[in-house]
Amino acid sequence: MSKLSRRSVLRGSIGLAAIGTLSRPFIANAANKTASVWWTQGFVPEEDASFRAMVAEYEKTSGNKIDVSIIPFAPIRQKIISALTSGDVPDVMSNYNAGLTIVPQNAWNDKLVDLTDVVDTQKSQYHPTALLASRYYNNVTKTRSLYYVPTATIVAPLHVWRSLVEKAGYKMSDAPKTWDAFWDFFKPMQKRLRDKGMRGVYALGLQPTTAGPTDGNALFHPFLIAYGGSRIVTGDGAPHLDDPQVKEAVIKALTYITAAFKEGYVPPGALSWNDADDNNAFHAKQLVVDLDYTISTELALYHKKEEYDDILTLGLPLDNAGQPIASQLGVAGAFIPKGAKNVEVAKDFLKYVIQPAVVNQYLKGGLGRALPAMPDLVKNDPFWLDPHDPHRAAYARQGMLEPTAPLYPIFNPGYAEADSQQVWGIAAADVIREGMTPQAAAEKALKRMSDILAKYPIAAS
Amino acid sequence: MADAQLVRGHPGFPARPLSAPSKHKRARGGGLQRSEFVWAAAFIIPYAAVFLAFVVYPVVYGLWLGHDPALYAELLSEPIYQRTVVNTVLYVVIGVNLKMFGALLLSGLFMRRGWWVKGLLLVFVLPWAMPALPAFISIHWMLNSQWGLLNNVLWNVFGVDGPGWLDTSRWLALGAVIVSHIWKWMPFWTVILLAGRMAIPQELYEAADVDGATGLKRFAHITLPLLANLYLICTLLSTVFTLGDFNAVYFVSGGGPALSTHVLATLGIRNAFEIARPDLGMAAVMSALPLMIPLVIVLMRKLRTTEVQL
Repeated sequence: MSKLSRRSVLRGSIGLAAIGTLSRPFIANAANKTASVWWTQGFVPEEDASFRAMVAEYEKTSGNKIDVSIIPFAPIRQKIISALTSGDVPDVMSNYNAGLTIVPQNAWNDKLVDLTDVVDTQKSQYHPTALLASRYYNNVTKTRSLYYVPTATIVAPLHVWRSLVEKAGYKMSDAPKTWDAFWDFFKPMQKRLRDKGMRGVYALGLQPTTAGPTDGNALFHPFLIAYGGSRIVTGDGAPHLDDPQVKEAVIKALTYITAAFKEGYVPPGALSWNDADDNNAFHAKQLVVDLDYTISTELALYHKKEEYDDILTLGLPLDNAGQPIASQLGVAGAFIPKGAKNVEVAKDFLKYVIQPAVVNQYLKGGLGRALPAMPDLVKNDPFWLDPHDPHRAAYARQGMLEPTAPLYPIFNPGYAEADSQQVWGIAAADVIREGMTPQAAAEKALKRMSDILAKYPIAAS
Repeated sequence: MADAQLVRGHPGFPARPLSAPSKHKRARGGGLQRSEFVWAAAFIIPYAAVFLAFVVYPVVYGLWLGHDPALYAELLSEPIYQRTVVNTVLYVVIGVNLKMFGALLLSGLFMRRGWWVKGLLLVFVLPWAMPALPAFISIHWMLNSQWGLLNNVLWNVFGVDGPGWLDTSRWLALGAVIVSHIWKWMPFWTVILLAGRMAIPQELYEAADVDGATGLKRFAHITLPLLANLYLICTLLSTVFTLGDFNAVYFVSGGGPALSTHVLATLGIRNAFEIARPDLGMAAVMSALPLMIPLVIVLMRKLRTTEVQL
């Protein structure tokens, strides 16, 4: 063994430095054709395998290299926020909820690359709501542009245990079609089921939670829209918080949700449920009906056929006047941060991903938990409307073929901050815990919303 | 005798008299020869680089992120912030003092002789030995009002529905968090104070016995004065740790119900990653500095105390 001396250490260090310097041009050349991609981990392993296969195919056809990091849902959000804050970013970032908080605020601050040329390659294919969801306001350029490339969409269907409904002596075919009557239909089932020994069962999986990021807001907004408050923020980003119709809808939504809670039809813990808690409660048959994004509730039981088939997946009921309610369409997608080292390869990769045949194959790998952002795929590929799958067809119809509306943070990044602050969950808690009237809680929430939105003045666009 | 002392020989370092004038050229201050200086630098530089990259840089970056005074104005205008400050003070004051006082008393119990005391100590330190996250998540599940262990026991044994521990009441949820914190960390401080008690010379107790002092008098006049410095240092250390504690709150109550049990550490994370405002999150955490810095200064001073105390 050679003896370590000061000179040998110095010689070794100089040698390493020389190798690094001489090889740098070759490393740089390879880097020119490499894009780093952070992608959200799929719900099932097949989804990740499907993504990797798509990447491999892209690498084969393009000659470029994609350096993929597949990261679970919660950590990727933290990683993306940290990266955007520090400026040490990958070339492509993707997250299911990015369109709700991360993209609106970073587009506002001019931190994202304009992706109009990417989205335009499939513009004719995209669902109009998905296309709307790719446009965000930039406060530096004072214009809206396309910063988010839709790769998938999600909506919130109703999930019902058919066996519990029948055990309570009811039939789903008797369920009313209008909003209040539909929810009220489940209430008497609670007592009947408890009388039959199901002590912990609750009729309604309404979750006025303040634990983020999404479920509390995902509950409130369908109620707001059902009661006529859809104009709370319009497509131009303008808030209409003083609109009497909006105010009335907010009060009605808070009234119904909090009354159901206080009457004992909602599990008390729902006030602090996180995104998985309602799924767990539903799977434990503690809820007769739940309103929750995606069909992950059902797919978690995909290999337990009896239970999988026992769940009924439904689109939203009509409003109280008998008119259809637009489901809010969440858009999952990808974006490129400014500071990305290889924007060209990143854009090329995204153009490849959103080709209808490619993205369809990828989403099918996820068992249909996320829908395509392109209605023709749903209409033309029998996978999506397969009558043999009791859930996927109802879900795909609700998301791509029935009325939909974008989420409000797309129109105004202030709404993204208000949603993150759980303004509506806090309003519900004010009624439930603090004894406020729904009117007072609504006034307080609208004032809070107004204060937050005031930080984001949007020029007419 | 200094002249006769030699620095111990070491590969690369020839033994030499301490005070002998060096024949080598001196390159730097501190009495190091140039060759010694190079070796010293070779050993220090990696550590210094790691320290700069992973300690100094993040701290400075954090300070820079939260440097804008407007952030603090925004923070103060947040309704949740004031409640969070109150929660933090309650959590630290009640949690630390109950925990430390309990540890002081229990360390006396564990001084007793007997195999059952040793067995009890073994069981008692288990919560501390357990990883924090699974422990707190388990407590969260146990306190679930619908299907948690505690309410199921209440139902099965007494036929009553237990309260919603974490559901609607801020005080029940904060109480659950404080109890969980004490359960997790009291064993550690008990063992530290036990070690302190064991270092008290037995002669002092024997002398006290001769003078007729027993029980409470022994505790008040021997144990307490001799443990006072250690107790104070442990309390200060625990206060610093608890001020930055994230796990107990986040995993037991999740800051709920309705955001009513957040402490500054969890609010900082919420602001940074749920609201996607890292600057506001950093401001929330940094707002604890006016309390944290005096604590650290007092702690440093206590650690320099040279009085004859344990």
